[in-house]
Formats: sequence, C-alpha cells, structure tokens
Amino acid sequence: MPEKSTFSVIPLLAMLLPWISLVVILAMPKKSRRLRLWLCFLGSLAAFGVVLVMLPGILDGNTYTIKLAGLVEGLEMRFTVDTLGYYFALILAFLWMLATLYSISYIDHKENRFFAFMALCESFLLGCAFAANMFTYFIFYEMMTFGSYPLIIHEETTLARRAGYKYLVYAVSAGTVLFFSVVAHYFWGGGNLGFQEYGVLSLEMASRAALMTIFFTYLAGFGVKAAIMPLHGWVPDAHPAAPSPASALLSGVILKAGAFGIIRVVFNVFGVDLMRELGVFIVLAVLACITIVVASIFALTQDNLKRRLAYSSIGQVSYIILGVAMLTHDGALGGVMHLTHHALMKGCLFLCAGIILVKTGKKNISEMKGIGYKLPITMICFSACALAMMGTPPSVGFITKWLLGNGSLEAGLPVYIVILLTSALLNAAYFLPIIYIAFFRWDGDEEEKGHRPKLVFGKEADHKLVVPVVILAVLVVIVGIWVTVPGFPYSLVSRVVNVIFP
Amino acid sequence: MGAYRHFPIFMITIPLVGAVLLPFLGYLRQKWVPWAAAIPLVSSTILGSLLMGRMPAGGYLSYHMGNWDPPFGIEIRVDYVGLFLMLIVCGIALLALFFSRLYIFKEVSGGRLTAYYVLFLLLSGAMLGFVATGDIFNLFVFMEILALSSYALVAIAGNRNAVRAAFKYLLMGAPSSIIVLLAIGFLYSATGTLNMADLSARVAESGYTEVLMVAFILFVIGFGVKAALFPLHMWLPDAHSIAPSPISAILSGLLVEVSAFAVLRITFSVFTAGATNLVGGTLDAVSVFAAAAVLYGGIMAILQKDLKMMIAYSTISHVGYIFLGITAFTAEGVAGAMYHMLDHGLAKACLFLCAGSFIYVKGYRRIEDLKGAWRQMPWTCFAFALASISVIGIPPTAGFISKWYLVYGNFSRDRWPYALILLLGSILAAVYCLRVIYYMFFQPGKEGAWETVSKDAPSSMLAPIWILSAGTLFFGLFSSLLIPSLLRAAKFLL
Amino acid sequence: MRLFHNYHYVAAMLLFCIGLYTVIVRRNIIKKLIGLNIMETAVFFFYISLGYMDNGIAPIRVGGAQPGQMVNPIPQALILTGIVVAVSVTALALSLVILLYRQYGTLDVDHLMRQEEDEGEGEKGKGAEG
Repeated sequence: MPEKSTFSVIPLLAMLLPWISLVVILAMPKKSRRLRLWLCFLGSLAAFGVVLVMLPGILDGNTYTIKLAGLVEGLEMRFTVDTLGYYFALILAFLWMLATLYSISYIDHKENRFFAFMALCESFLLGCAFAANMFTYFIFYEMMTFGSYPLIIHEETTLARRAGYKYLVYAVSAGTVLFFSVVAHYFWGGGNLGFQEYGVLSLEMASRAALMTIFFTYLAGFGVKAAIMPLHGWVPDAHPAAPSPASALLSGVILKAGAFGIIRVVFNVFGVDLMRELGVFIVLAVLACITIVVASIFALTQDNLKRRLAYSSIGQVSYIILGVAMLTHDGALGGVMHLTHHALMKGCLFLCAGIILVKTGKKNISEMKGIGYKLPITMICFSACALAMMGTPPSVGFITKWLLGNGSLEAGLPVYIVILLTSALLNAAYFLPIIYIAFFRWDGDEEEKGHRPKLVFGKEADHKLVVPVVILAVLVVIVGIWVTVPGFPYSLVSRVVNVIFP
Repeated sequence: MGAYRHFPIFMITIPLVGAVLLPFLGYLRQKWVPWAAAIPLVSSTILGSLLMGRMPAGGYLSYHMGNWDPPFGIEIRVDYVGLFLMLIVCGIALLALFFSRLYIFKEVSGGRLTAYYVLFLLLSGAMLGFVATGDIFNLFVFMEILALSSYALVAIAGNRNAVRAAFKYLLMGAPSSIIVLLAIGFLYSATGTLNMADLSARVAESGYTEVLMVAFILFVIGFGVKAALFPLHMWLPDAHSIAPSPISAILSGLLVEVSAFAVLRITFSVFTAGATNLVGGTLDAVSVFAAAAVLYGGIMAILQKDLKMMIAYSTISHVGYIFLGITAFTAEGVAGAMYHMLDHGLAKACLFLCAGSFIYVKGYRRIEDLKGAWRQMPWTCFAFALASISVIGIPPTAGFISKWYLVYGNFSRDRWPYALILLLGSILAAVYCLRVIYYMFFQPGKEGAWETVSKDAPSSMLAPIWILSAGTLFFGLFSSLLIPSLLRAAKFLL
Repeated sequence: MRLFHNYHYVAAMLLFCIGLYTVIVRRNIIKKLIGLNIMETAVFFFYISLGYMDNGIAPIRVGGAQPGQMVNPIPQALILTGIVVAVSVTALALSLVILLYRQYGTLDVDHLMRQEEDEGEGEKGKGAEG
C-alpha cells in the first residue's frame, strides 16, 4: 500500500450504515410497512453518501485505512480504501441505493427478510471493496455468499429453491477452494496477504508450481462468482428466479465481486510482471474469450428475457476478465471501467424486465409484442441500454469496446479484436430482436386492419420503479459522453491503471 | 501469591465435595437440589477467572498435594492452556446445568433427579481434575471418575435405549481405561516416575524405547476410545444421541475434547519433541485415522434422519479435525487444535442444547420435523444457525479461525492431503448443517406441526443456548485475545 | 532367554489377552464382564510384579528394616486405587446388566444388537407422530 495512508473511520462507517436498515426492520412494529421500507432506503442512501464523501480525498490521491481486528502478524482484518477499492464501492453503493428504492415498490411479500438481507449484503460487499488484504476480502466474500442466498430464494417457488440450491453448491465449493488459495497464499507469500500496487508475490518466494497453484485456485474460487465458464452454471438459474431488483444487483454487483477479486489477484497480489513471467494470463484470456463467445451464443437461444440477460451478463463480465488478462494499459482501463459500465447497463436492463413483469406479467420475449407502446419510457430506456451493450456510441459500452480494442492492439494480439467483434455481433443478434418486437410489432399486426397503437406515456409503472431505470439509462449515455468528469469511472480507473502501466 | 495458589485444587475439589453432599440435601429438600448443584460450579468458575489474571510469571502454577514434593507427591500443574481449558469446562458445564433445570423433567423421572445432579457434579469435577493434574496416575483416576459418571448419565433415563447405549459405551470405555492403566504401567516400568514433568525428562534418557513406544500406542488407543477417534468411535453415536440433551452437550462438547487434550498432553508434555522417534510412527497412523474420521463422520452425518444422531456424527468428524491438528506437529496446527477444542465445545454444546430445546417444546427428534420451525422457535433456530456456521467454519465465527490454523498447520510438503481433507470435511459439514438450516427457515412446515406465534423454549433454556452461540461469534471476532498465547504455548510445547 | 527371565510379565500379558478375548468374543454379557475383570487383574498383576525384588521384604518400617531391601511400594499403592476403581466399574456394569435384563429379558449381546436395529428405526421414526 502507498506509504501515506491516513486513518479514517469513514470506511467502517460506510460498511456499518446498512446495518441501520437491519435494526430498523427488527425494531419497528409490524404496521408501519411504508415507514420501515423508506428508512431502509435512507440507510442505503446514507451509505452512498458516506462513500461519496471520500471522493475528493481519493481523487487527491489519499488512501484511508482502519484496522478492524488483528489476529496475528500478517493476519488482520483491515480496511484500506485505495482508488480501485473506492471505485468498486462507488458503483456498488450507487446501484444498491437505486435497487432499494425500486424494491420498495416491487417486493410485496416477506419484505423484512428481503430488505434485511439486502442491507447485510451491501454491508458485506462494501467490506470486500474496502478490504486491505486477502484475508479480509475472503471473510466478507464468504459472508456475502450467505447474505445473498435469501435474496435468490425469495419467491420460494420450486424454481427459486432449485436455483438457490445450485447457487449454494457452487458458492460453498468455491469458498472452500478459495480458503485453500488464501492459506496457500499466506504460506508461500511469506505471511503477507496484503495488496500492494505492484503485487506481493515473486518467484523468489516460491516455486513456479506453487505460484501457479495459488493462481489457479484463486481463479477457480473467484471464477464461480465471476461466472467464468465452465463455472457459470448457477447464473442462468439464479437470475430469473430472483426478484428483479435482486437480479439487477446480482448481475451488477455480485458477479463483479468475483471479477474484482480476480482484478486484485492479478494486479495487487501477483503483479503484472509476475503474470507475464508465469504465463498464466494466457489461460485467463482464453477462458475469458471462450466465455464471451459461448455465453453470447447461449443468449441467442433463450426466450425468457431474464435468462437471456443472464447469459449476456456472463459474457460481459468476461470482458472485464479479458481486459485484465491483456496486461496492457488500455486493456486494463477498459476492463476495469466495464465493471461500472456493465453495472449501469445491465442494472437498467434487469429493472426494466422487472417493470415488464410487474405491469404485464410477461416473462418471455416472444410474448412481448408491442409493449413499447404500453410501457414507452421503460422500453426506451431498455433500448438505450441495449444499444449501449452492443457498443453503440456515445454510450459507455462503446468506451469499453474501444479501449479493449486498443488494448488488444497494444498487446499485439489482434485475435482479441476478432473476439470483440464477434461478441458485438452476437450482442446485436440477441438484443435487437427485443427492441424490434417491442416497438415494431404489436398485437394484431398480422391482421390486415391492424394499426399501430399509440404511445401511452401517462400510465407507466409506479415512479419508484421507473425513476431508477431512467437514471441508469441517462447515466449510460452521460458517462459515455462526459467521460472525464471526476468521480466517473475514467477519472478513478485511469489513476489505478497509470500506476500499474506507466 | 498467597491464597491464589490453592485455587486450582479448590476448583477441582469443590464440585467433588458438592457431589458427595448433594444427596443429603436431596433427601431433605429436593427442590433445592438444582440450585445447590450450581453453587460448586459457579465457585469454580469464579476461582478460575480470578486465577486467570494472576498466573505467575513462569507461566504455570504448581501445587503439591499434601505438601509432598514431586516426584514423590501428586502435583497439580496448571499452565495457561490448562487454565483456559478448565474455564471452558466450568463455563459449558454451568450452562448445561442451567439448561437442565427445566429440561430434565422431560427425560428423567423425579426420583432420579438428585442422582442426576450428583453425577453431573462428579463429571465436572473430574474433568477439571483431569485437565489440571500433573501426575499421570492421577490422570487415570480422574479419567475413571469421568468415565463412570458418564456411563451412568447416559443411562439415567432408564429406558431400553438408554441402558443399552450406556452399556455399549461401558463395554468400549472400560477396556480402554484398563489399556490406559497398562500404558501407565509400562511408562512407570521404563522410567520409574509418575510425574509428568519428570517423565518428560526421563523418557528422553530411558533406554527402553520399545516399551515406551508401546506405552504411547496404548495411550493413544485408550484415550482414543474416549475421544471417539475413528475407528474407536462406535459407542459415540448411540451414547450421545440417546443421552439427555444437556448430557450430550457435555459429552460431545467437553468429554471428547478433554480426552483429545489428554493425548495432546501425553504427546507433547510427556513424550516431548526430543523423543520424536518414539511417537512419529504412531502419529502418522493417527493422522490417517483422523482423516478417515473427518470423512466418515461427515458422510454419516449427512445420512442421518435423527437430529441428535447427526450432531453426534458431526462430533466424530470434528474429533478428526483436532487430531489432524495435533499430529501436524507444527505450532499452528497444535494451536488450531486447541482453539478447535474451544470452538467445537461451544458450538457442539449449543447444537445439542438446541436439539434439546426442540424436544422440550415439541418433542420432535427428526430433522424432517424441523421444517418451518423458525416461526415458532426463532431464538432456538437462529442460535442453531449461528452454531452451525461455526461448525462449517465460515467467518467470522471461531470455527473459521480454528479451521484456518488447522489447514495452515497442515500445509507442509507431506501433509497437504490432510489439509485438503480438512477442507473436504468442511464441505460435508456445509451439506448436513445447511440442510437443517434450510428446513428450519426456508421450508414451510407440515400442517399443524408448528404454531405461528413465537412460543419458544423458556428463558432458562434459551439463555445458555444463546450464550454459547454468541460465544462462537465472540471468539471468532476477538480471537486475537487467545490465539497469540496459544501459538506461544504451542511453540513452547514443541 | 529374556522371555523366561521375565515370566511374570509374560503371564500378565497372557492373562490380559485372555481377558480381552473374552470381552470381545463372548456373547453373554456376564462373561464379558468377567473378561473385563480378568483384564483388570492382569494389569494389577503386572504392576505388582514391577515392584518385585528377590528376597525383598514388605515395605513397612519396623524393626530396623532397610529401605534398600523393600519391595517397591508405589505400584502397590497404585493398585489399591486401581482395585477400588475396578470394583466401582464392575458394580456400575452389573447394575446396568440388571436394568438390561429387566428391559430386554436377555443377556445375549447379539440379541440385544438385533433388537436395537429392529426398534432403532421405529423409535427414531416416532417424531411428529409421537
């Protein structure tokens, strides 16, 4: 960690604020549902606010640290907010806040459990983002697994239960593998689990075989959450089963926790040079490419909207992994920025899917003829995000693709560009039909006399559902245009990447 | 130092004396018996806590019985680890005692009430003596008191199953005691002393290596039966599941731990690291059995339908953990094993008491019947969930910390398979524990099986459950209180 | 040659094995208990013979007896304790046997085990219905 790290209680405060929601839920009487839920929203808003407070300091280059508990030398639970961790925390808190607002209107039964675990999950994820070493990261990562389970299983249908069960099987196994990797890391890393800017491990510390074991077990452990094939099996079941705000968070944040873990491992534990020496980045890149392409192909075959979006997420998260695996400046920049970009885009898409479900009860794309006319705002935002996913300028999706393309040129491996183009094509192939069916088909368009329905703007869904959708869609475009605004991804990530790749 | 010098012996004798006096009180006023039984344990706990802060600089407290100097007299030798273990014993026994006050009417007929408390105090006092003693024959004596009271306590319900389980236990436990006695005999014949500190010096010099090796093997077998190390575990599932729940809590939570601790002491304090050639081969064999225990216990636990049987098999698995830590022969491994004794004691006792709570309120013993339990019994269910999380080894509970050190301690060139087996055991634990949690929280109950209002167990039963459960969390978050001293102690032992 | 020289140890071990065999193999519970007692006796024998000295005298300080000539008293003290323990174990075991006989009507271990399996399922099956 950089030498000057100022002590600050703010990270701890940010992590603990969601617990207020928990307390509120437990303490408040049964009757005041509205009040309870709005207080929960306030809790997440406050968490976002506190995270935001650190922004100026981070932009100045400070880092904040606070030690939570120390076990023995080298094994301590510590928060250190560096630029990378802050970046993750920012999008995490932001998306969570919007999802909580959305949930107030969306969730109609067993809200207590849902909001309680949402809050807990946010808290644990903030803990992950702020973690100063692998030990802390692992602890919060594990807790987050169990915190997110009730969110997936919320509807308690057979589908949800099966999805939850699959999730647990994957996640618990991953957790065990990760435990092994952290212990191995501790053992061979000389008792130091911290993150450092240029990586901690080196060939002086341990043999090639040992280092590669550590890397691959980390890859397996984090890869399950990051949905790298073939460890992605839980994702397509979990997303449709979970309620839409939870799916949005799942895709937008929880999958990213796995990806973030890999980012930390590659940059802050192994370091770029060691990665090049060991040559494992090739495996990472290959897996990422396979995932990108195969996931997109699968997405084509899905009729259930949320399943299609889920497969899309699997592919998109691998963009991040690919960017990281390129080991170049622009590649890393694009990959890490995609963490936020995808969160914005996919979050919006899932929330739209939720509105569609609430208002029309439709799950499958083939049934969604002409909903653009019934739910115009929703579908316009959907289309905007879908176009962004395809990489259309001027959106964040375009920025990602551009940077990744640049990165692959820098790496001297134009094959990545081929992959990116293929993926873009496939993205178009599975997103455009949705937009088409929504706006260019309508009930009764087969008949001779069928005429296009009018756009009805007034009777959209409850504003708590629509506002987050619109905010996200607007951001998708704005962040794509005014890229260099401080606080937006570029300002933060470029700092990180410029240090690693001078 | 003054009065504190005498504390250890008081900690041991007060419960024993109390056990002797209790029948008279029971004859006069049976209603007072539970409260009277608590007094010795409370005083032992208080004495122990007071002593904790006043340990002398040398790191251990040595008390010579009757002022006969060792090696001729019996020495009570308490160091940090020993005192720590004694406090655990006092604490968990006290909590189980409070739990028993209301529970015991479920399983034991009124006439046997006094007997129950007498045996309980005998058991506790004997465990304290077992941990504290510095003389190996004294160890045997306390072990016998321990064993006898536990045989009787398993049988106390008086019904067919209880008597049969107790007899099965006795049939394996009594020969094991004789084996220990024989081992002590061998040890004495080879070294000429019975004092453990003296033994450690003489073992290194003695020329009778075969005798000592056989003695060690016999010790491992003898205490291994008591600690239910695979394949000497056959008595445990029946005994622990059929005994009254607070007794199961003590048996699983304390007795097996203390027996494993005896093996630890014998290995490290008596047959010190200098004599590794004596113990090495046996310890390798023990490692294999311990690994088998982890897997066997885990798999059998998954297959069980009765809740207490499942918890009992889980104990077998965790005993394997402890032994894998001991045989790792590294400071981290041993520290992990000792910390695991703490956290397994707390967690397992909590699990058994929760099972008792379910039996008390509803009479349900099967896991199937726990579906949807949390509506009526949320406190019990949450405590069970927390304790299970410690059993699986998920942060931030104490189980995670001990698992960390156990795995780390086994992370050397020739022991990595054991590290992997520990992790595998953790996955197995996740399967059987999460299944119960899933049933409790996420499955709807059968019609009429549970009421919708919260009507949990009485507070005298919930309080111990929650203290134990919170303890697993506390010792996970604040493990820094104990781990450094345990590591130091472990390094010293090695 | 050493084997003959240490004949007392050999005898003790032989007795121990006989006892262990009885405990494990015999079906009748009383016989198992007798085997247990034989094992215990064997160990006592072993201990006492540890302290034996040729031409040794009883370890009582009377009439100018020299400590160097006495047999070792420590094993004897240990065995006194051991005998007490053995008696208690036997007493407890026998009371359990009485209870067993009252409940099951048989002293045959195999029958007991079989009964256990038969009713094991039934007993534990009585959850919600019971």
